[in-house]
Amino acid sequence: MKPKPIKEVKARIQQHRRVGVDYFRLRLLCPEIARLAQPGQFVMLRVSDSSDPLLRRPFSFFRIFPPQTKKRKRPEDEGALEICYQVVGRGTSRMTQLREGERLDVLGPLGKGFWPEEGRSLAILIGGGIGVAPLVAWAEQLRREQGKKKRFSKTSGNLKEVLVLIGGKSRDKIPGIREFMRMGLEPQIATEDGSLGFQGLATDLLERELVTQGHKSAALYSCGPLPMLARVAQITDQFDLPCQVLLESRMACGVGACLGCAVKVRDRTLRGALEDEDARAQGAAVHLEDRCGEEMAGSWREGLAPIIAEPPAFFRYVRACKEGPVFEARDILWE
Amino acid sequence: MSPKTDNPSLQVNLGSLKLKNPVIAASGTFGYGEEYSGIIPLEALGGIVTKGLSLEPRQGNPPPRLAETPAGMLNAIGLENVGLEIFLQEKLPFLRKARCPVLVNIFGSTVEEYAELAKRLSAVDGIAGLEVNISCPNVKAGGAIFAAEPKTVYKVISKIRRATSSFLMVKLSPNVADIGKIALAAEEAGADAVSLINTLTGLAIDVQTRTPVLGNVTGGLSGPAIKPIGLRMVWQAAQVVRIPVVGIGGIVTAKDALEYLIAGATAIQVGTAHFIDPRAGLKIIDGIQRYLQANNFPDVASLVGSLKIKKDTGQPT
Repeated sequence: MKPKPIKEVKARIQQHRRVGVDYFRLRLLCPEIARLAQPGQFVMLRVSDSSDPLLRRPFSFFRIFPPQTKKRKRPEDEGALEICYQVVGRGTSRMTQLREGERLDVLGPLGKGFWPEEGRSLAILIGGGIGVAPLVAWAEQLRREQGKKKRFSKTSGNLKEVLVLIGGKSRDKIPGIREFMRMGLEPQIATEDGSLGFQGLATDLLERELVTQGHKSAALYSCGPLPMLARVAQITDQFDLPCQVLLESRMACGVGACLGCAVKVRDRTLRGALEDEDARAQGAAVHLEDRCGEEMAGSWREGLAPIIAEPPAFFRYVRACKEGPVFEARDILWE
Repeated sequence: MSPKTDNPSLQVNLGSLKLKNPVIAASGTFGYGEEYSGIIPLEALGGIVTKGLSLEPRQGNPPPRLAETPAGMLNAIGLENVGLEIFLQEKLPFLRKARCPVLVNIFGSTVEEYAELAKRLSAVDGIAGLEVNISCPNVKAGGAIFAAEPKTVYKVISKIRRATSSFLMVKLSPNVADIGKIALAAEEAGADAVSLINTLTGLAIDVQTRTPVLGNVTGGLSGPAIKPIGLRMVWQAAQVVRIPVVGIGGIVTAKDALEYLIAGATAIQVGTAHFIDPRAGLKIIDGIQRYLQANNFPDVASLVGSLKIKKDTGQPT
């Protein structure tokens, strides 16, 4: 299997703006990466030349501007990437000092992004807080695909509609509202403090939608805080809908070498996993002895014969940076 | 000093193993080579040490596995690896084509497992040598328990030595009282080289939750923060053993690498720095070359162990 190309470039900062109390947007001119970038993938930014903070920081794409071959009217037509970040620690604090025109070391595109679920007529995008950011790039791509659909489409199938459900602590903690509106999408909004839209959580909006509207042909794409994603996974499981989640993770290298960004996933079919050449090629560890975990003990406690009932949920670790950061929600072991 | 050389040689000899330059990618930070192959030309490196390998696959530790610390990072991966069979079938074919000497880092939970791995790996083509990991701080078995005492080091290394005629390098732990004695035990047991230092055991705490940051509680500290310790230990080890010493620990720039060479390292390994800059190793090779040129050294070897210390000061303790 040939590795996907990864570029390391010194990208010029085209725009850097504060868009909320602690939210910023950073647009980088880097045609090499913008050409390859897919929504849900990410870049590793080197936010400082010093050894403190030491590591690069991962950021998913808020917007992707692929290089335009013909009409290049705006600077970003050259090929640009925009990220939206929240100041949470030393790395992001340091980033706020970056100035337009400066150059920043960018490594990417990395990981596996969102993929269109075949044969689904509705895409529901559900995000919370800063996790809304990568959904903006995905919505943009879905809308583009919809536009092309009349001619021919391999990927989007019969996608007819995109529904956006987003939430945050307060109205200034939800990025991308304006971008969704510009795409002709009217996002349903939930805020915990009631400062905008429905007072509550984005997952409340989701439940309401599914209960009242049915949406049997929906596919879900989600990003946000872990408890929210776990809840989305639970709801979509109940309604038997496919759901992809973008997981945030600490990582050091971003390219699959350090094994620091381990994500615990279900490994339902033991033999399947052993025979799955792809999984092995990607370095997914399979360890037989540690497989008989709590889940199996649990099913015994409930008096179920583990062999007949659901196959025991053995687990394995995969890398968020390589096998993810977008996963199928039902594969994740939410703990 | 030798006459000025425009093109100093970067080649180094680790005993029987010849490397085109002294810069090696360190185990656990470079995957199985292929992870970085799309980003840098692997053949430019002096060598690659693969992720620690065991007979059976290992799942590794629960996350979080990483914590950033001042000028460094803690990791507790727990030696997750694909196991020998998958390594041979799926990882080695790529490495064979990489045109770069490959050292396979091995570990076991018993002396017999080490010997078995060494034996089976020496029977296949495409491996330049073995690096024996007796110093991982993050797993109970196969970890630091072997590295702590000269006696156990001697026992495990001599057993491996009898199992293989391959080039054998022993990776030493800094979490020991007397590094000289440990290095000497490795040499006496038949090691061709020693590499040091592995990570230092550390702890990071989240004060909000009053819990350890790492899933494994403790982890191994690496990065620029540990360089002075690595340098000191390499210097100490190089004075007591005759076999080559390979320096590891916080090497980010050519200057860092040069310090290790001057302290007595014949070659060096770049680890954590590759996470930050995949080109770190290449930049270091370039920087060493320029230093040798500028200072009229004909080759790397003439720099190795050239630390000047005034008499009656700074004796190894």
